[in-house]
Amino acid sequence: MANAQVEAFRPTGLLQIEDSDIGLPLSNSFVSNGLLGDPSSERPASSGQDTLPHCTSVAPTSPLRPNGLLDTTGVELPSSAPITLPRPSLRSSTFDGKTIFLKRRTRTTGTLKGHSTAQKPIGSLLNVPIHRLIDELSATTAQGLMQQPDAEETLWVDRYRPKRFTDLLGDERVHREVLSWVKQWDFYGERFASSEDELDRPQEKILLLSGPPGLGKTTLAHVVAKQADTIDARSGQVVDERIRPALESGYAVGSSKPVLVVIDEIDGATGDNSHGFINKLVQLTYEKTNKSRGKKKGDKSNQVLRRPIICICNDLYVSSLTKLRSLARVIRFTRPADIHVVKRLQDICDTEGLRADSRALSTLVGISLGDLRGCLNTLQFIKGRSQGVTEQLVRSATVGMKEADANYLSVLTDLFCPMSKKRVKDRGMGEADESKYVERLSCAVEATGALDRVALGCFEHYANLHRHDATFARYKKANEWLVAYDILSGSMRAEREYGVLQYLSYNLVPFFPLFQERGGPRVERPKADWEWHVKTRTNEEIYKSLARAARTGNARLAGHFCDLVSEPVLSLEFAPLLNRIISPPIRPVNSQVIRPEEKAVLSRLVNIMVSLELRFVQERAEDGQLVYKLDPPVDVFVTYDGKRAADIAPPRYAVRHLVSTEINAQLAVRHVEAIERMKATKPSIGAREANDIENNSSQDMGEGMFVASTAADEPPRKRAKTTTADVDAMEKPAVDFFGRPIMTPIANNKPVSSRQQATPVYRVSFKFKEGNSAAVRKPVKMASFL
Amino acid sequence: MLWVDDYRPRTLNELHYHVRLSQRLKSLAGSGDFPHLLFYGPSGAGKKTRIAATLNELFGGGVEKLKIDQRVFITPSRKKLDVNVVQSNYHIELTPSEVGNYDRIVIQEILKEIAQTQQVDVSAKHRFKVVVINEADSLSRDAQAALRRTMEKYMTNLRIILCANSTSRLIAPIKSRCLLIRVAAPSHEEMLTVLNHVAKRAGAGLLPQDMADEIITDANGNMRKAILVFEAMKMQSPDLSSSPPIVKPDWETYCYKVGDMIIQEQTPQRVMEVRAKLYELLSHCIPPTIILKTVADRVVQKVDESLKADIMHWAAIYENRMRLGNKKIYHLEAWVVKVMSLYKQFFLGIELGDLDDFI
Repeated sequence: MANAQVEAFRPTGLLQIEDSDIGLPLSNSFVSNGLLGDPSSERPASSGQDTLPHCTSVAPTSPLRPNGLLDTTGVELPSSAPITLPRPSLRSSTFDGKTIFLKRRTRTTGTLKGHSTAQKPIGSLLNVPIHRLIDELSATTAQGLMQQPDAEETLWVDRYRPKRFTDLLGDERVHREVLSWVKQWDFYGERFASSEDELDRPQEKILLLSGPPGLGKTTLAHVVAKQADTIDARSGQVVDERIRPALESGYAVGSSKPVLVVIDEIDGATGDNSHGFINKLVQLTYEKTNKSRGKKKGDKSNQVLRRPIICICNDLYVSSLTKLRSLARVIRFTRPADIHVVKRLQDICDTEGLRADSRALSTLVGISLGDLRGCLNTLQFIKGRSQGVTEQLVRSATVGMKEADANYLSVLTDLFCPMSKKRVKDRGMGEADESKYVERLSCAVEATGALDRVALGCFEHYANLHRHDATFARYKKANEWLVAYDILSGSMRAEREYGVLQYLSYNLVPFFPLFQERGGPRVERPKADWEWHVKTRTNEEIYKSLARAARTGNARLAGHFCDLVSEPVLSLEFAPLLNRIISPPIRPVNSQVIRPEEKAVLSRLVNIMVSLELRFVQERAEDGQLVYKLDPPVDVFVTYDGKRAADIAPPRYAVRHLVSTEINAQLAVRHVEAIERMKATKPSIGAREANDIENNSSQDMGEGMFVASTAADEPPRKRAKTTTADVDAMEKPAVDFFGRPIMTPIANNKPVSSRQQATPVYRVSFKFKEGNSAAVRKPVKMASFL
Repeated sequence: MLWVDDYRPRTLNELHYHVRLSQRLKSLAGSGDFPHLLFYGPSGAGKKTRIAATLNELFGGGVEKLKIDQRVFITPSRKKLDVNVVQSNYHIELTPSEVGNYDRIVIQEILKEIAQTQQVDVSAKHRFKVVVINEADSLSRDAQAALRRTMEKYMTNLRIILCANSTSRLIAPIKSRCLLIRVAAPSHEEMLTVLNHVAKRAGAGLLPQDMADEIITDANGNMRKAILVFEAMKMQSPDLSSSPPIVKPDWETYCYKVGDMIIQEQTPQRVMEVRAKLYELLSHCIPPTIILKTVADRVVQKVDESLKADIMHWAAIYENRMRLGNKKIYHLEAWVVKVMSLYKQFFLGIELGDLDDFI
């Protein structure tokens, strides 16, 4: 801020005016005390805080003072806040009332002391009281201390942070990718062919850098950006308050370079709602498309996202980033090769004067999993205590480091396999340490943070092991522990007593002594439970839809089935028995020749299915066969292990077809009844529908709608079974969209008939299934199908 | 229409069994001093039928004009809850346990709404409305606590009828505010009467005696199940005289299969197979406690006398643990392993004993 203000005053050029406009005595008096910097003179001005005290001391001696016109604003300020004050330029007025600004020189350090003493005229020596001189002295010392902080106090991480692109450590391809993406924002540079944006922006407006900590994501972003505006808060408002202005202004204050926004640690962004940070950000990228379209139409608002945004995160798959992930160009950081890291560390150790052998350094890198920041911090920590780095020191300094975030799968492996010799050595453990497993494993289990998944993994894996267990004693014990774990965690959640969380992990540790086995089957990611969970969800949905259908189907019938569809009854009694009720053994014969007792069964079946809103829906199976399926598919409740219950007759296409047509007919009848009832009030609405339905219901029940009339002079009742779909005949004259009968022009008809006299022309017409299609009805000639 | 619904008695006079209970309900309804009621008894004994009949007695045929709708409640944490509500002009019926832990909100909202509105219908026989709460024994503590105050405060405007399988999970203050009405499961003869009545009404012809006995034994006092099974059998084989086998729900047969598997073989592979079967059962939304009970029943049928007590003992223990825990499958499997281990030990013991004799 301070600099910005100072610079803002520079171009005003008032100081040049000062020389020409101000009268001689005035300028003399100013020159004589030699403290207010004259830009034209070569003499370096003294720094701010010693100028101001001088001002006050000068004032009484100045000839201008008595008339009070020369009023220096800065006079009173310095005594109260001597050091850290931002230094404004002095404003004064001349005799004739003109305001002039007296600019301070920028400080040139180092020469401070010499000038303040040497430049003073001899006569004014006593003008400065001694206490002021002491103040001044202490102030300058303080300033000096502030300016040169002790080299030992900066973190190595900061000191050795790469400043240039070529200094970066890691995969250079990644770095180049980032750089080229930023370069694509260069509107005046070479145009990229791939960019289809009208503003020549890259396709993805946001760059998302992800990777484990300490690999240099932030460094890369800053190096690439060189001039980055870092924003630290993560609430949704920030986007509006800070990012948007930065992006819209396009330039940082006081600089001619365009801005680039770096948003660090975006995976910690708060707020999942529409006002959340991520959503705002996403909005920002979307906005531009709308606005840019608007711009074409002459909208002048400059709201378009014109500047690059780089986001940095550790965990790419955090739920809050889901939306951003699809929009952004994602760049993953991977661990650089250990050799490079070790070499860099070696260099740093050399410059810092720390003796380090490469073995110790590679151990360090191994422990920290390539986290450069962690390595540097550790090294600095070691440096504080000794002059050399040895493996022993590294080990003692890194206790607990990085062990923390172990993946749950590797923890599971640890639970079922003893540690390999290499890891034992790697961790510098002795024989005795190795045998102490409880502490080690419980820490590891707890550190995963996914205790439930570890438990599930144990559950799914333990029975796969082949160690002989004659009396099941070990299995019994393992299950006891699992049960204990479940009860403890269950009651912890129920009572919200998260204090017991620390004991949970111990319940899983016993799997190690019970089942540890070298070279046993690999621990798989537990997935069976999830698959069953998904299946359960599907079935629950089916139950729900059955319950809903039964409820609505009987809404008029005084709440029947209401107690049948309550939870346990539904799954235990209703669903399995219902399946038997709706699948009676009916012979697939024409419903006209059906025996009376079978007919009774059939009509009952239809009644039940209609009242429960169960339907048979025609579908094409994978082998191309047509099948009728129940909808809702309640037959899953008699299907265990993928097989239907043995005592239910297998579904036959013909039977289901018969039932389905019956149901449709029944529905039509009910519909008509409902319409008849409604007619009294609204005669006009139901009329047409009723007309439709009467055509169907007027036919015999068994006949159904499955009728196709061939030539017009043939009897209309003749059944012509077509396998395409259950299409039914056009009984009525064809009507157009407005309900007028379509008259095919006779002129058209004649030549057709005369041409094809030899072969009888069958006019087969199709009607789209009622309710399934909004298509306009139109007679279609068979010829057009052939 | 299913027979269970079609031939359900609509009024207290039509009820076939528990005649004295019907009389008492009738006099209660007629007294003008109708208390809160708590119906309890096993599933399928006829609690809801009696509740409906009582309502009919109270308000006349108007209660059968029902409206079914789905109400949406919003929790303080902005979660939406859908509850199916059945209501007439005189009563409202709901199952708050549908929404699990949030049942308190549903109870509060509904009761407040009912309590604060007066009966509009001037021709109504009573000034109060009735709230029927199903599955009251699965109400959470909070919901029950919410009930107890409203039950007293709004006595003028509403009566509550609770329907539960057992009273053990209801808190004492609720029990003391209600008139407890136990609806016991019907006896064998009573069920036979009902089945014959249904057969006659449905025109299904005479029900063979031995088959009726079999159905009733299988239903174990559950009238609803008996009628459903009867209808299923009638549909499956219209000619009942050939005495077809009793229809059993699939999950039951499947549970028996699981029980047999446990007895047949006790190996880790078998543990995995049983686990898959248990998962299959759970995925069909069969309550885990029922699974445990049915499988245990089957296992007990098959094993030696000396093991039976132990197996049931452990089944009870694991069922209790299952209620405490979250992951049902852990507990089911723990029990399976326990039984396998017991069974193995039993056989090993015998063998060792034989060996001792031999030596």
